[in-house]
This record gives sequence, C-alpha cells and structure tokens, in this order.
Amino acid sequence: MIQVERLTKQYGSVRAIEKISFGVGRGEIVGLLGPNGAGKTTTMRVLTTYLSPTSGRAVLAGHDVLDEPLAVRRKVGYLPENVPLYHEMRVKEYLRYRARLKDVPRSRRRLAISEVVSRCRLSDVEQRLLGHLSRGFRQRVGLAEAMVHDPDILILDEPTAGLDPIQIREVRNLIQELGDRHTILLSTHIMSEVEAVCGRVIIIARGRIAIDEKLERLRLEKAILVEARGPAESIRNVLAGIDGVRGVRITSRDAGISGFELQTHGGDDVREAVCQKLTTNGWILRSLELRRSSLEERFVEAVTGDGVAPSEVEAI
Amino acid sequence: MRHVPTLLARELGAFFLGPMAYIVLMAFEVIALLNFWELVDALSQPQREFSSVRDPMTTYVSASPLFWFSILVAVPLLTMRLIAEERRTGTIETLLTMPVSEAEIVLSKWLAGVLMYLALLVPFAVYLPFLYFQARYYFDLGPLLSLGIGLTTMGMMFVAIGLMFSALTRNQIVAAVWTFVVLFLMVVLTLLLYFYGARQQAGWAEAVRFLAVYVQVRAFGQGQLDLRTIALHLSVCVFALYLTVKILETGRRR
Repeated sequence: MIQVERLTKQYGSVRAIEKISFGVGRGEIVGLLGPNGAGKTTTMRVLTTYLSPTSGRAVLAGHDVLDEPLAVRRKVGYLPENVPLYHEMRVKEYLRYRARLKDVPRSRRRLAISEVVSRCRLSDVEQRLLGHLSRGFRQRVGLAEAMVHDPDILILDEPTAGLDPIQIREVRNLIQELGDRHTILLSTHIMSEVEAVCGRVIIIARGRIAIDEKLERLRLEKAILVEARGPAESIRNVLAGIDGVRGVRITSRDAGISGFELQTHGGDDVREAVCQKLTTNGWILRSLELRRSSLEERFVEAVTGDGVAPSEVEAI
Repeated sequence: MRHVPTLLARELGAFFLGPMAYIVLMAFEVIALLNFWELVDALSQPQREFSSVRDPMTTYVSASPLFWFSILVAVPLLTMRLIAEERRTGTIETLLTMPVSEAEIVLSKWLAGVLMYLALLVPFAVYLPFLYFQARYYFDLGPLLSLGIGLTTMGMMFVAIGLMFSALTRNQIVAAVWTFVVLFLMVVLTLLLYFYGARQQAGWAEAVRFLAVYVQVRAFGQGQLDLRTIALHLSVCVFALYLTVKILETGRRR
C-alpha cells in the first residue's frame, strides 16, 4: 500500500529525513515512533503530498506523490498534528463540506457521514461549533474527517496527543477497529501506544530509520547480560563471534571486571554458548542473565545511537 | 473546477457568519451617506457646481477622497485573512491534502474576495434610487453602468493582489500592510507622479496617467468605458492569481 524508497527531505541545509525506505502492506497498522524532531511529521507530510520530497520516491496505493498528487490524496485520509479545524463551522456541516470536497458521491454522502459520526461517537455534538469542542472531540472530528471518503490508507499524526486516559483508550480502540478496513500509519512518541495498537513499528531517529520490525519479533528479542573477569576488548570480540549474536556492548568496566550486553537475533538463547566460550578462554564468568528487551529499551538504544539496525546498514 | 462552489460557500460563510462583514459594511454605509449628502448639497446649488451636475457619479464616488480612503483600507482587510489565516491556524494542511487543486483553492478564495468587495459597494447603490425616483433627478444611467463595470474590474485586480500577499505570509497584518502599500502606489502615487511629470512636461507623464487607477475610475465615472483599462485590470488580476497558485505550489517544496 505504501512504498517509500530512499526518501529525503531537506529544509534549506537541514536534513529532516534522510534516505528512508520502508513499505507498508494492505491492512497493516504501523507505528512510526521517534523522539520529537526525528522526522515523523515530515515523513507524513511528504506521504500526504503536503510537502514534496527533495529526493527519493513514495508510492501510495499505486500512485506516486509527485506524479499524481491528486490521486494519492483521494486514497489517503490524513489527521494532522493538533487537528486544525475551522472554528466557525458546526460538526456535521464541516463533515458535509469535507465529504463534498473529497468527492463522496451525493447519493452516498449522507450515509458516509452518519457512519463516521457513529463510528467516532460524535452524534451528541453534531450541531456544536467546532471552536467550542473539547480536545478529545476535536480529535474525533479530525478522525471522522480523515475517513469520511473511506480511503485505503489512513495517516494519523499523533492521534492521541493531548487526550485524557479514557479518551486515549477510546481512540486506540477506534484505530484497532479501523485496522480491518484501512491501512494505517500512525505516529507517536508513546511506546505503550505502539504496543497496544500496532502490528509493526518503525523507529525513526535523527531522520533515519533505526528499527523496522514486527512487534512480535521485537518482543521475542532477548538481551543477555554478562559479567566476567578478563580483558574487556578481547572478551567482547569473542562474544561477538558467537552465532546468533547481533551486537555486544560494554556496559561497565572496573578493576578487571567488565559487564556486557548482548543483543541476539530472533530470540536465540545463547547463554550456554557464552558460558562455554568464556571458560575455554580461561575468563571467569561472574553472572549471566537473560532479559527480554522491551520496546522502550530498543527505542532508547536506537535513539541514543548505540545500536545500528541491519536495515539501516543496508540503507547506507 | 467542480469544487469551487463548495469552497466558495465556505469562504463566504466564514466572512458573513462573523461580525467583521457587518462592521465593514456599516462603515461603508456611513461613508456612502456622507458622500450622498454632499452630492445632494451640490445638486441643490447648481449654479456653483456646474461640473458635478454634469457628472453626479464623479462627485458621489470616483472623485471622493473618502471613498478612495475606505477602499484602500477595506480591501486589504478583506483579503488579508483569505490564505494567511489558514496558514496560521494550520487548516491549510488539511486543505492542501484533499483532492483539490491549488488553482481551485485560489480561484474560489479570489471569487469570495470579489463578492465581498462588491458587497461593500452596495451601500453606495442604496441611495441612488431615492435620487432618481424620489427627487426626480434623472441622471444618466450610462455613466453609472460604466462606473459599475470599472469598479468591478478594479476590485478584481485589487483582490487578486491582496490574495497574493495573503499567500506569502502567515501573518495577516503583514499581508494587509503590503496590500495597502501596493494599492496606495497604484491609486495615489501614480497620480502624484503624473502631476510631477506633467509639470516637467516629461514624456512619461502620459504613461503614468494611463496607469493611475484614480484617473481610470474617474474616466469610468464620466461614462468612458475604456477597454484598454479593463484589459489592464484583468491581465494584472490574472497574473496575480497565477503567482498565487505558484506560491502555494512552491510552498510544498520549502
């Protein structure tokens, strides 16, 4: 549904996003995760044709954002950050206006509007002025507007920002419901949100993709914490040579005792191999601990730049 | 272009549902009242004011400083919010990500501006039937028609210029000031420049005179429907609209 290849967007001399590539298949719910200023909003703005890319390609539902912007916009529903609305319009009036601009045929318009109104639970505020609505309702109006023309793809920029916990849960449930009919790309910087809603996560840091992985695989990944006595560098090299180890990081180093953190591929348990390697080299193993690496750790790791994911190595 | 009516309806709705439209209309009504007072006064003393008896429209509208002052202030006020406000509130993002082309957006905003501008001229028209039917002063209808056409094409040009400045910035005040400066140049400075050039007997004075909007509209008020002037107004208008579309398009390439 969404194909992005080596997409770059430059504002003057600042690179907002740099050669990012990813694909999203039909029916997937993908979370775009990253700290503020990482390039999430820029990516979404390029995908919705609000900004044009400096270089690279983005194809949505078979249409290129540069060659056929109008066709792309017809296939995409977009909820911008902070949900800008016309304050002097009423909810239903606004939805009718948008439906007309989005070429919902006259015969289907009434039905389409009443459907999004009930899906987003807006029936109580139908006749209220948009400027008088609370944050949560504005968010829902934005969502209703994004999907009023039944687009194949929904792009939601921080759909739960500024909501209270109950509203967050409602919006999340709504997004999950929508997942059966639409392909959804949503951005957030709340980790638990991704875990609750998305099937896949793409972590962006400093304009590059740091991680692009299915959530279940991320959950499977394990980190192994090792503490051993011996020369830190040589131990690290040996550990890195073990099958199934993706990366080794020295976490502490004092008085001949060093701590290591091993990242493994797809849930391989390499504890026995680690123990064997250390003892054959004559180093003393002080502790060996298996820990599931949570999304949050992966996120921090990716953002602070300690680890480089294989996908990014390929991209470079 | 099928989205234009929908977009236009929203623009006009935003304008006429707020208090702004009625405040400006009220001010114009007062100005029209003052001008009409002056006109009736002049007409009741025909011996002293021969020229105005011949061209009541000139006294009433096209030579009235008050009229020009209010047009120069009102047009920037009308056009400043058209695009700048969408930029400030961010609604431009939802607008430009819909299956609507930039040309459609610009055209409907311009049309809305022109309709608002024409609405401002209505107060001036309100008094004329009284003069014609009540006071039985049977003025020529020809000059009234040519003045109407001239003011319309002038307004189309002014609104297009205002719209262009509104597209350039997210600050409405900046848009209004720029529009005011350009309109002021077109109306007043060209006139002053012409007087200056004429005193020096310079060749370019005639060219400046042709460009002076004040002179153009005065000629319309005297019943001279100069097609060259109309062509000038319309081509400036089309050029400004074209630039506005380009400004919106390059905004994506920032």
